[in-house]
Amino acid sequence: MAKEAISAQERRERALMVLTPLVSVLLALVVGAVIIACLGKDPIEGYRAMLQGSLGDLSKLSKTLERACPLVFTGLCAVFAYKCGVFNLGGEGQLIMGACATAATILGLGGEGVPALALGLLAGIVAGALWALLPGILKITRGLNEMITTIMLNYVALYFMEHIFKNVFSDQGLPKTVALPAGVRLPKLLGAHVGVIIAVVLGLVVWYVIFRTSFGFKIRAVGMNPVASRVNGFPVRRLVLLAFIISGAIAGLGGAVELMGKTPFRLAAGFGAGFGFDGVAIALIAQLNPIAALLVALLFGILSTGGIMMQSVIGVPTAIVDIIRGMIIIFTVAGMASIKLPQLRALIASWGSKSTEAEASA
Amino acid sequence: MDFLTVLPTILKAMAMGAVPILLASLGELFSERAGLVNIGLEGLMAIGAFVGFAVAKMSGNLWLGLAAAMAAGVIVNMLYAFCTVTLCSDQVVTGMAINILAPAVALFGYNLFVGSDPANATGAQMPSIAIPGLSELPFVGGALFNQTLLAYLAFLLVPLVSYFFRHFRAGLSFRSVGENPHAAETLGIDVVRMKYVACVICGALAAAGGAFLTLCYTPIYIDGIVMGRGFIALATLIFGRWSAVGVLGASLLFGFFDGLNVALQAQFQAAPVMFFKMIPYLFTIVALVFFGSRRAGPRASGQPYFREQR
Repeated sequence: MAKEAISAQERRERALMVLTPLVSVLLALVVGAVIIACLGKDPIEGYRAMLQGSLGDLSKLSKTLERACPLVFTGLCAVFAYKCGVFNLGGEGQLIMGACATAATILGLGGEGVPALALGLLAGIVAGALWALLPGILKITRGLNEMITTIMLNYVALYFMEHIFKNVFSDQGLPKTVALPAGVRLPKLLGAHVGVIIAVVLGLVVWYVIFRTSFGFKIRAVGMNPVASRVNGFPVRRLVLLAFIISGAIAGLGGAVELMGKTPFRLAAGFGAGFGFDGVAIALIAQLNPIAALLVALLFGILSTGGIMMQSVIGVPTAIVDIIRGMIIIFTVAGMASIKLPQLRALIASWGSKSTEAEASA
Repeated sequence: MDFLTVLPTILKAMAMGAVPILLASLGELFSERAGLVNIGLEGLMAIGAFVGFAVAKMSGNLWLGLAAAMAAGVIVNMLYAFCTVTLCSDQVVTGMAINILAPAVALFGYNLFVGSDPANATGAQMPSIAIPGLSELPFVGGALFNQTLLAYLAFLLVPLVSYFFRHFRAGLSFRSVGENPHAAETLGIDVVRMKYVACVICGALAAAGGAFLTLCYTPIYIDGIVMGRGFIALATLIFGRWSAVGVLGASLLFGFFDGLNVALQAQFQAAPVMFFKMIPYLFTIVALVFFGSRRAGPRASGQPYFREQR
């Protein structure tokens, strides 16, 4: 009897956890519509243009998928780290370093075909992991706040990339690298590069690792309560370091995929800009669920590519989609916090027990 | 490189680079003293930078721009305060949400503002005021005692804040809220109100730091103008040991490395300047490695406060 009551409550809480982000998305879209209306434009026409511009036909859909692809990687990077209690804000730097390493191996060593492709991806993974290893070591040895160190390393990575595309592999002195040769670009499938498939598979793998393996269980345990995990004999420091490395590797792979998959196949100013914080937003909206992160990344892709069409049709700056994104995350955070408030919990519980009583009497 | 000839360049850039960090860091000092870790400084600075820029340009009055920037910072930070204090949400997550939302609002406003009239792209700048006598000192005078009024005010804040936290009843109440909110509540301090007040001050100061960037540093606003300064301010607070004077020293140290970067860029124009630009960020990490112990901070910082909880 008591057990049933708990499970009913749990079910309700789970439903609320799914409902909150959905309601947040709707609310954010409403706020966006209000802003558009305040500018004297038609929000319904705007959102129609957004959908048409992002999902209207196959070429637009593939563009949306390619736009969402790197966000899946940075989103999963954030999810994996946060599950272990590591607030990795360095997804952008890790992605950039991954792309730099890919560019350096492919442009530096030459080579074509599958081996070069594989080597490029591997270089991205290794560089991303190494770039996350540094804040990881600083955290477990000196107890440094990883939020600050990873952000600082983002800027270092940004300037390093500038060095790469201006001085090392510059295309005839222009501030961009030489484009990757056709032989090492990711093949296309239905208009989108196969990196999209890699991203989806990676999302499923990360979900499996976190929720269905003993390693994932340990990672989650450390994230929830590091002291209890240590008492339980888990190697907490090693797990934290591994969380850094794996999340960095995911972001680094994202950088490699972005460089090898997406036109113009080269590094230049603005490469990867904003992907890190978008990834953080995705992880938080998705409630640290890798599969939900895939969907949220897709939503972000729709907003981004659709926003351009919206701008050209109704003349509202594309930054409106950034506001919508920001509102989604604010509403999600506020919503998740408020359903955990004691007062509201009591309310939900009493409302729930009434409904179960009603069920029982019926 | 002759050190004495580049010293004025470094010092000038040091003072300029230190001010935004200092302002944001002092804001964060209030916030953390009241037990709220606000990592949304970056976003608050961005909104302050844009609003200061736009209002100063529209009204032609730089101080009105600054006031509007501070008001905007307070409004945005009230979102943070409501989520963390009233709804007891995770402070880090909420701060991150502010970091994502606030620059987006600033960018949207900028696109509307400059989109309507391209002449709006360049804003107004505060004039520098030379202090008579001191500014004529050799080497250091022209660099240190020829600043904008906002910079002088920022430096003047340091002794005031330091005195406030040590000798004022309200300052001590702030500290007690950050150390042990339940004990503070039993002493009759309204913890929730205190936290809201801290957020008002933090929002205003961080936004003023952002406004400094567009009113005194460069006359333009660009997306990403804050360049991680909000996070550097968080680091500054840590190696300033949560004291106003410590924060001043740390900000100046950061400013020095920023100035070194500027001086090196001017000195070695053929060298890859990107490596010089890395200096302030690398320095922040190195400084944290040596002085980064988290233990010195307010004890209840970062934890939500449930009034009914015992």
